[in-house]
Amino acid sequence: MNTVGVGLRAVHYEDFLACKRDAGWLEVHSENYFGAGGYDLHVLRRLRADYPISAHGVGLALGSAAPETGAHVAKLKRLVDAIEPALVSEHLCWGRGFGRHFNDLLPLPYTQEALALMAARVSALQEALGRRILIENVSSYLEYRASDIPEGEFIAELSRRSGCGVLLDVNNLYVNQLNNGTDALATMSAIARESVAEIHLAGHLVAPHCVVDTHGDRVAEPVWALYNAALERFGMVATLIEWDTDIPPLEVLLDEARRARALQAEACCV
Amino acid sequence: MSELAALQQAFGAAIASIDKAAETAAIFRAGPDAALARLAVYRGNVVGACSKALAGAYPIVAKIVGESFFEGLAREYLRRFPSTSGDLNEFGASLAPFVARFEHTRDLPYLPDVARMEWLAHRMYYASDEPEAGLRLAPRIHLSARFALLTSPWPLARIWEVHQDDYEGEFSVDFEAGPECILVYRPRFRVLVGTLSAGSYRFLERARAGAPVATALEAALVAEPGFDLGAALAAWIGAGVIVNAEEEK
Repeated sequence: MNTVGVGLRAVHYEDFLACKRDAGWLEVHSENYFGAGGYDLHVLRRLRADYPISAHGVGLALGSAAPETGAHVAKLKRLVDAIEPALVSEHLCWGRGFGRHFNDLLPLPYTQEALALMAARVSALQEALGRRILIENVSSYLEYRASDIPEGEFIAELSRRSGCGVLLDVNNLYVNQLNNGTDALATMSAIARESVAEIHLAGHLVAPHCVVDTHGDRVAEPVWALYNAALERFGMVATLIEWDTDIPPLEVLLDEARRARALQAEACCV
Repeated sequence: MSELAALQQAFGAAIASIDKAAETAAIFRAGPDAALARLAVYRGNVVGACSKALAGAYPIVAKIVGESFFEGLAREYLRRFPSTSGDLNEFGASLAPFVARFEHTRDLPYLPDVARMEWLAHRMYYASDEPEAGLRLAPRIHLSARFALLTSPWPLARIWEVHQDDYEGEFSVDFEAGPECILVYRPRFRVLVGTLSAGSYRFLERARAGAPVATALEAALVAEPGFDLGAALAAWIGAGVIVNAEEEK
């Protein structure tokens, strides 16, 4: 899967069903295929014949202090067993507790306690699914005073302890650099070369109080530059173009994918 | 409580209620004003994601009350019935009882039943393609998982019809049409809504509860003396309500 893929969203189903598109692989949000049946699963079953699939979860909220019920993992397992995706990933975040789910990727404090919890949850998930998963760094608009481990070291140690791979979201690194002053290059250099198995690229929005990770625009120029740096450090890594709000025609995503592929080709020829 | 749990509780409280934000701001490195502004971004994300999910499950309710009103309704619904699942397709199960008690929709007495119908349609959209294990009418004839039943004093099937994006007829609903037995069903991938005769409704209701065919038929004939099971079965095969289990495999 050392190529460039795009996120599969319902508005592009017809485009993908009509003919083979210039995308190396497709990534879906796992939760959108949690149903027992129906059209979405039907489309995914059809497309998995033509493209490697990556199942990217947004709802497990693995770093939540509240205990897990297992219901969400069971649905993910049903999907993973049915589709046999090439990659399965989740986020380095929390989002559940006090009787509710926030349905957002909320940042964790980078502390030993959070690290121990994440490592235990990721290990349990890998055991339940019977496979290695990737964990993605999230964008964050706020940094905890309690954090005493740099983000890169936290991710590297999580990967060492649990054996999980890293899904490096380059746009999130950039967003955090602008919002919190975290050094994106330093974060990358703390992460072991061989642990990064996927890269995410997306657009963001510069809002008055902070930079918001909207996945609603083309990849920004400084993020392309960071992507270049990531390719230099991590080599050829499967890369995804993500777009979730104001989704444009598929051709725009494929155009972004072509640019990423060109950068990959340059980087590997050097 | 551990430090991690305490931090998450403070963060969560500030997302759930703006009143708690000032107290929570201190756990973050940003100055108080910046922290408040950024907590508001998180609050907006949570409200936005849930409102979008709710509008996706209830497109007709959203059309009936209008987009901006629905936004306010969704915000209030989220406050009273927060999401409890990491799968947003499960959010919104209580909208019917919510709108039944919501003072600003009291002048729309049919709205709770429209919401009830839409939640069934939402569930049917994701229902299993497989026949219901164990619910068989005859050796090879099984009930499918792709239908739901509903009764209402309001003309729900007509309300459904005129609100479909591809509907081109006259936009009119006769609210005096009388009570209806409603079938929400999915022949293949698109969810449809139709009406059932009293006998058909009673038969399917009993059969789904696991009653033998003879018992279900008896109940159907009480509700509708002229009930024709043969004609009904033929219609239900076309609608995907019953399936030939062997053929599906």
